[in-house]
Amino acid sequence: MSASTIVPLRDVRLSMTEAVALVEPGHTLGLGGTLLYRRPVAFVYELLRQAAPPADLTLLSFTAGYASDLLVGAGNISRIQTCYFGLEVFGLAPMFTHRVNRGEVQVIEETEASLALGIRATLSGVGFIPSQAWIGTDMFQLRPDVRTVVDPYSGEELVAFPPVTCDVAVIHALVADRRGNARLNKNLGIDPELAAISRQTIITAEEVVETLTEDVHIPAVLVSGVVHAPRGAWPTSCYPHYPIDGEEVLRYIDACASEQFAEYVCQVAACAQ
Amino acid sequence: MSDLASIDYTVDELMAVCVARQVQDGDMLVHGLATPLVAAGYMLAFRTHAPNVTFASAVGQGVVQDWAPLSITRTEEYWLGKAMANASFVVTVADVLHSFAPKEFFRPAQLDPYGNSNNIAIGKDYARPRLRLPGAGGIPDVSVFSEKMYMYVPRHSRAVFVPQLDWLSGMGHHPARKRGSGPRYLVSDLGQFDWANGSMRVVSCHADVPLRRIQAKTGFELEIAPDLGETPLPSAEEIRLLREEIDPLGVRRLETLAGTARRTLLREILARERSL
Repeated sequence: MSASTIVPLRDVRLSMTEAVALVEPGHTLGLGGTLLYRRPVAFVYELLRQAAPPADLTLLSFTAGYASDLLVGAGNISRIQTCYFGLEVFGLAPMFTHRVNRGEVQVIEETEASLALGIRATLSGVGFIPSQAWIGTDMFQLRPDVRTVVDPYSGEELVAFPPVTCDVAVIHALVADRRGNARLNKNLGIDPELAAISRQTIITAEEVVETLTEDVHIPAVLVSGVVHAPRGAWPTSCYPHYPIDGEEVLRYIDACASEQFAEYVCQVAACAQ
Repeated sequence: MSDLASIDYTVDELMAVCVARQVQDGDMLVHGLATPLVAAGYMLAFRTHAPNVTFASAVGQGVVQDWAPLSITRTEEYWLGKAMANASFVVTVADVLHSFAPKEFFRPAQLDPYGNSNNIAIGKDYARPRLRLPGAGGIPDVSVFSEKMYMYVPRHSRAVFVPQLDWLSGMGHHPARKRGSGPRYLVSDLGQFDWANGSMRVVSCHADVPLRRIQAKTGFELEIAPDLGETPLPSAEEIRLLREEIDPLGVRRLETLAGTARRTLLREILARERSL
């Protein structure tokens, strides 16, 4: 008998409680999906259900929406790294707007290019990626840490986008296998690259199967844990399984407008009280 | 022979028609975030004079050569279901955006006379703004090289059209510009505008909107086109397409509303969408 037949297949399945314990105070937490699409909402609910959720987090989200707003409202986020924070056609993200207006959280002002190229810098292992973006705008006043370089060939001044890094990324998948391979839908956002730049990546999945053999967007080698989370993106969408629950998004907005944020969170996250 | 004078239309429909008329057949058109008025105009162009346009979307980062009725909760059925190809946002931004050189309509929160824009925050204290906005998305990236920036403002006011921006996140007709162009065109609920001489200029007033009203609602002196006229009215067929086929739920109207009225309309649309 060869040795390989007795080595068990890797199994990285976790409970949601085990998964949220991977997030430590001060971490950069990356949320997969975009806007109101395929966000890891069940993970965020579980995080908020903890007696003492990790604080002083940096939230990294290409575009931030409902799930991010819950974390910001709950006070766990000190810094927000995004290029858009809102509820799309539903309007402003209430707790983000409220807390930033009061100076309670810091925004690390990003754009599509600074995030995409900052991710590329990390993936390439270089200190920056140059771009024509931002030159002539006020972005450098909002991000004094971002510098420019001179193109050695043309002499043109270019922005030098610094690397974007992440400690724990959480990505909701349509299906994952127990080794960590995950399949998304076509609305990828930055998820394949986010998994690659993060020190740890957690997959929450509508379905967990024995083995995936095709159409894998995130290979197991990048994945630390898989959590079975049916309807785990609700009330954001998980195409083609379910659309956005617009009524729930409006219920959230109304709760915030009547200063019932804490009550809303307790209800959806089913807190112990 | 024409029933133009008797056509009943609303200002959101007129703006969608104005957007459609800026589309040329063969264009590559980007749908931004939460811009249903523009989506209605793009679809109208596709259904009338521009069947060879290609749409690209921030939802799913896909390319589509087809149309679908506007939706709120089911936009992915269109953007994913009908997409010929999709890419991650990193690939889209880093690899393909420059070569596609798309046309896009942007909605500025503040706009100065030169077409520079602000979508960051209202107020000069960045750490404690008067109103934090969602953010600039890709505007600081694209506006510095684009040749095809278009603008729309569904609620024309002195809060939007300001002499001085709080923050410049979108580059207009600006002395630091090295490539591309400032915005070409703007439609609001009051009129149509361009920057033919680098400064915002009124080109036409919508029906029943006097020029003095447009000037009064603009926080800086507008240039006036020598051939200033009235915005051409929508045709009966354009209005029929918008109401019956492209946007029967009325999603485009959300952009003209705020506060409670907007939330009420959202609830109505969601109820109708669920029953489809």
